[in-house]
Amino acid sequence: MSANLSNIRHTHGLDVVKPLSITTLILVMMPLVLLPLASIFIFGTSSGLRSFWNALTAPEAVFALQLSIVTSFWATVFNVVFGLFAAYVLTKYNFWGRNALIVTISLPTAIPTAVAGFALLLLWGPYGILGRFLDPHGIHLMFTAAAIILANIFVTFPLAFGVIKPVFDTMNQSLEEASATMGATRWQTFWHVTLPSLRGAILSGALLTFARAVGEFGSTILVSGNLAGRTQTAPLYIFAKFNEGQVEAANAIAIVLALFSFLIFSVLFLARDWLEAE
Amino acid sequence: MKFKIGLIAVFFSAMVLIGCLPSAPGGGGGGERKITVYGFSIMKESLQKEIFPAFAAKWRAEHNGEEVKFESSFAGSETVTNQILQGVPADVGIFSIERDVDRLIQAGHVPNDWYVTPQKGIVNKTPFVIIVRKGNPQGIADFADLGKEGVKLIHPDPVSSGGAQWSILAIYGSELRKSEAETGKRDETRALNTLKAIWKNVIATPGSAREARTQFELGQGDALVTYELEALLMKDANAPIDVVVPKATIFSEHPVAIIDRNVTPDERPVVEAFRNFLWSDEAQKAFVKNHFRSVTNESFNDANPQFAKIEMPFTVEYFGGWKKAYPDVIEKVFRDQVQKK
Repeated sequence: MSANLSNIRHTHGLDVVKPLSITTLILVMMPLVLLPLASIFIFGTSSGLRSFWNALTAPEAVFALQLSIVTSFWATVFNVVFGLFAAYVLTKYNFWGRNALIVTISLPTAIPTAVAGFALLLLWGPYGILGRFLDPHGIHLMFTAAAIILANIFVTFPLAFGVIKPVFDTMNQSLEEASATMGATRWQTFWHVTLPSLRGAILSGALLTFARAVGEFGSTILVSGNLAGRTQTAPLYIFAKFNEGQVEAANAIAIVLALFSFLIFSVLFLARDWLEAE
Repeated sequence: MKFKIGLIAVFFSAMVLIGCLPSAPGGGGGGERKITVYGFSIMKESLQKEIFPAFAAKWRAEHNGEEVKFESSFAGSETVTNQILQGVPADVGIFSIERDVDRLIQAGHVPNDWYVTPQKGIVNKTPFVIIVRKGNPQGIADFADLGKEGVKLIHPDPVSSGGAQWSILAIYGSELRKSEAETGKRDETRALNTLKAIWKNVIATPGSAREARTQFELGQGDALVTYELEALLMKDANAPIDVVVPKATIFSEHPVAIIDRNVTPDERPVVEAFRNFLWSDEAQKAFVKNHFRSVTNESFNDANPQFAKIEMPFTVEYFGGWKKAYPDVIEKVFRDQVQKK
């Protein structure tokens, strides 16, 4: 719509601005994003598709990918449900300390992920503030899949909330009021009026959280113990293989993760249009 | 409404599908024992390719077919030690430097009487050498040449890597040793100046010896000081490199320790059997095949024709052991006088 308008206003004869600006866009992206991504694909398949496939189907590689997906999944489930709840509470009720809570939820964005990792260790590790009381009972949170989920939750904490909260803020209050005057319970109003309008935000919040969690490295390497075939996630596997000098093996998994995020953001892109059209 | 039910159905089936933790590769089955090994970076190949399978076969034969499964993680020696100090479930640790075992003893993870064999806990050794690009374009013949103008050196970070500390001891000790041979006195000023000149040329400090090698292989730097084992592994892979053997250099010696607090009485027999297996002829020969040198029997080392002859070898004992070498050289010389500049 806006593109058509500008065409009407500025174009006399041949439009050079359009091809020029598109070329500029691609040229800028080339060295910054496109070429680095391309080099993963070139390197990962450089010694033939057969060794690429072997690298991909190595038992520890498959395990690492599965572990990443499962731990990211649970972190996403938690953070979307929590983000929804937090956005609801923080929009509906005004109370002392409300803004402080909003700021706190956003904090993990700017905290280095390594700090998130050792903060968890300092709390839940066998010598941590709380962990030292759990350890004698045989309860070990750190260096297990639970630790990876906790790290993922911490690191992606603000994402779903950040997408859902603005929708709450701009939501048409009168719809909910109408629902209430028609005798709906709080729960009915939430389920039939509030939630449907949040569909798009929930989906994009979930996909963003999931994508970010799958790629998480800095906190995971500290809390997981990095045991191949047990607590080694896909990013840790890539790092380990790279350090060992097995660059192709590292790249094979990197390709999977790159395609994976491409898929996620394609779904996000398509589903958004579709959900908004509803 | 149909749409919603469909969505919920998809959601829950997805939950069931991807919400379950994957089972460990090759896992499953009862009557199986598990040993968790944390090792310093360059131990990986010999352990995974030779030692783990050999021990599992031996145990299987001696214990009615009982399987032993290994889980392992590799990083710089200091990093591994820090992981163990924070509580990773390691049964056995194999370190680059004995100082790391001392740190674990101090924290109560390893008992004072941690070694049981005449080798004092050392499982294998290897000398420190210099790796340069094919043809040695900068004409590097000994450590001192690494301090020449324009040489770019990759050197692991002594904060996380045991190999980096060995390298510092190798360079510093090499100058002491040569000066002692020439004048009868250890020339500490000469050793310090050489180390300073070399450190000026360091362009990257990776976290472990293995990481340093990867960076070098990817084309960074002109030279790398590292374990002879790494140089020979690179030669095996036909990397375009030359190996420069210094006139005087250190033999690094790598200790193994059982992490007492993580080993239950039930697990102890298999864990101890594995540790003791490292000194068996079978394991020592496997180390030699993978370019580590044997510590139990010097004649095993004749089996590897690629081992370099070192003119003036020395060990950490030259500095009075790790308990003196770490504070005297790594801290007082390297950290205080070379790095803080």
